[in-house]
Amino acid sequence: MEIKSLLIANRGEIAIRIIRTAKKMGISSYVLKTSKEPNAWYLDEADHIIDFTECLSDTPEFLDIERIIHTIKENNIDAVHPGYGFLSENPIFAKRCEEEKITFIGPPSQVIHNMGNKTVAKDIARKNNIPLLRGSKGTLLNSGYASKMANIIGYPVILKAAAGGGGRGMRIVENENEIERLFNMASNESAKAFNDSSMFIEKYASKPRHIEFQILADKHGNVVHLGERECSIQRKHQKLLEESPSPALEPALREEMGEAAIKLAKAVGYFSAGTVEFLLDDDMNYYFMEMNTRIQVEHPVTEMVTGIDLIEQMIRIANGEKLAFKQNDINLKGHAIEFRINAEDVQSGFSPSLGTIEKISYPENEYTRVDTGVRDGSVITPYFDSMIAKLIIYGEDRAQTLNRSTNAIRKFWIKGTKTTLSFCRAVLQNRNFRNGQFNTGFLNEELEIHYHSDPEEEMLAAFFAAFDYAREIEESEGKKLNVEKGKNITPWLLNKRLR
Amino acid sequence: MVEKKGARKGKKTQFIALSSANKEYVFNNPLDRQVKYMGEHMKLKLYEDPEGFSYVLWKNKKYPLEIIEKTQNKYTIMLNGVWHIFTVETPFSLKRKKFLESQAGTSAIKSIDAPMPGKVIEVMVEEGTEVKTGEPVLILEAMKMQNEIASHTDGIIKQVKVKANDNVMKDDVLIEIDSSQ
Repeated sequence: MEIKSLLIANRGEIAIRIIRTAKKMGISSYVLKTSKEPNAWYLDEADHIIDFTECLSDTPEFLDIERIIHTIKENNIDAVHPGYGFLSENPIFAKRCEEEKITFIGPPSQVIHNMGNKTVAKDIARKNNIPLLRGSKGTLLNSGYASKMANIIGYPVILKAAAGGGGRGMRIVENENEIERLFNMASNESAKAFNDSSMFIEKYASKPRHIEFQILADKHGNVVHLGERECSIQRKHQKLLEESPSPALEPALREEMGEAAIKLAKAVGYFSAGTVEFLLDDDMNYYFMEMNTRIQVEHPVTEMVTGIDLIEQMIRIANGEKLAFKQNDINLKGHAIEFRINAEDVQSGFSPSLGTIEKISYPENEYTRVDTGVRDGSVITPYFDSMIAKLIIYGEDRAQTLNRSTNAIRKFWIKGTKTTLSFCRAVLQNRNFRNGQFNTGFLNEELEIHYHSDPEEEMLAAFFAAFDYAREIEESEGKKLNVEKGKNITPWLLNKRLR
Repeated sequence: MVEKKGARKGKKTQFIALSSANKEYVFNNPLDRQVKYMGEHMKLKLYEDPEGFSYVLWKNKKYPLEIIEKTQNKYTIMLNGVWHIFTVETPFSLKRKKFLESQAGTSAIKSIDAPMPGKVIEVMVEEGTEVKTGEPVLILEAMKMQNEIASHTDGIIKQVKVKANDNVMKDDVLIEIDSSQ
């Protein structure tokens, strides 16, 4: 059955991104309107809006499986795309879709279940001779077992939620004294985030690169990889920028790792788009970490270097179509980088910066792509993640991409909230980053100050403070200023607006 | 412009913006938009573009700026995505400020404030607990992440103002620490 209508069980930029491809393919799109952001941009882009503003249960709207299933059936919608986060890797949701004959745009529920449980996934990888780091073969019962295992493996170790992802439920343990406390924290966090407190333990590779491979698999057993994404620039396991290709991979290693990713996908009977994550150490040994059974935030960099619309491929695969290309047809061309622009205060340890985006403006040209769900007046709420936009830059090679990025970030202006733009500048200024010499230790060791500001910038800010103060005094003294209206700044007007 | 300068003659029009690292930026007649930087006298231009951004033009580069907080003479200015805190002083008020600071000893009671709005998951200390700088004192959940809040000072816990499951706003006082020892 061909998909004619599609519910996007997501919000923000990814909802808009999916709607764009749906439009291109002549599929009518449905989205959910919540009371948490009833004026969000994604609602305006969709063909149909389903009202979820009335709160029926304590379950957040985008996680309410039965309500979403009911809505799909009630509106006769053919398929559902979960985006990333929320229900995208929830095997129960995928299973319910299968039962109700709704096309779930993603892999089969059994595969989500297998790959979603990190211990099962590692077991499958082990059986297929894909390299792994030393660790527990199953989940840990309690912190006592964790401590025993850690002594066998040797510190540092990393505790991970079996159901985890996105850095939640994960802790690095340097020594025995910390293991009980950190085990409890991580397991607690995992129980809340994923409704599953089971943990496993692994040798912690201290400063590896994070390299992941994008794969596409159809329902007929064809699997290809679309090259890698370098995601080593992270803070607390949250990716901050990603690029493709990785400056670390030679073609032979790319082929080998790509083959491993394909082998794993075939072994589990995968179909749809998926990502196989590896760690790469200094000696160019790679280790399988996990497989993400969904579209990733950073998918645009792969789209830029392959020219393939991944959302379109996911829909075609869900329709039962065969992949229209073989591995040899895939040409990686040029270099792309994605900057995640989050509403975070870099100067206060990346703490969330809530508020209203008063103004947002960014460059538009043929090598710049901005995926965003916000526009002037959008509110950054505490209910959802802090991402404002993804800035994706393309160039013929890495050097050109980095230079274009520096210019694009200069022209990316946001008023009303603190953002990670200053962090992006700091990374771009760093010599080792520019040379491609970096790993997941970059933020803690390489980048001493996480934001970039030229010395004269502080002076200019100081000037503006003095200027504003002097003007207030002058105003209060009832003096008149001769201002060229419309040309120079109007101090009274500006003053009002800024308040 | 010439008349205005004349009008101010004989008045104190010098302002000092004091950064949080106590760096002093001295501006004579800031309303004239003249600055002296690295020995160079430069004219600044302030603009507001049609899209509603304010910016300063300096050496042919545009720097977006906004005042994100202002209370009396204390300013938080966001310039090119980075915020800076200044107190603006006159030569007289700066002198007085320095004098007062030299007289008063700094308070020994320090507070740990919520760096962001969120929910308290666990309080790891109680009254009388001795803590060291960097030691975690409570766990705050915000934006789906559990964050360890660490003490920024050595001392003894004087008062714990929150308990598990409390919702807190940014800058709420969580814990008070006596650092007089």
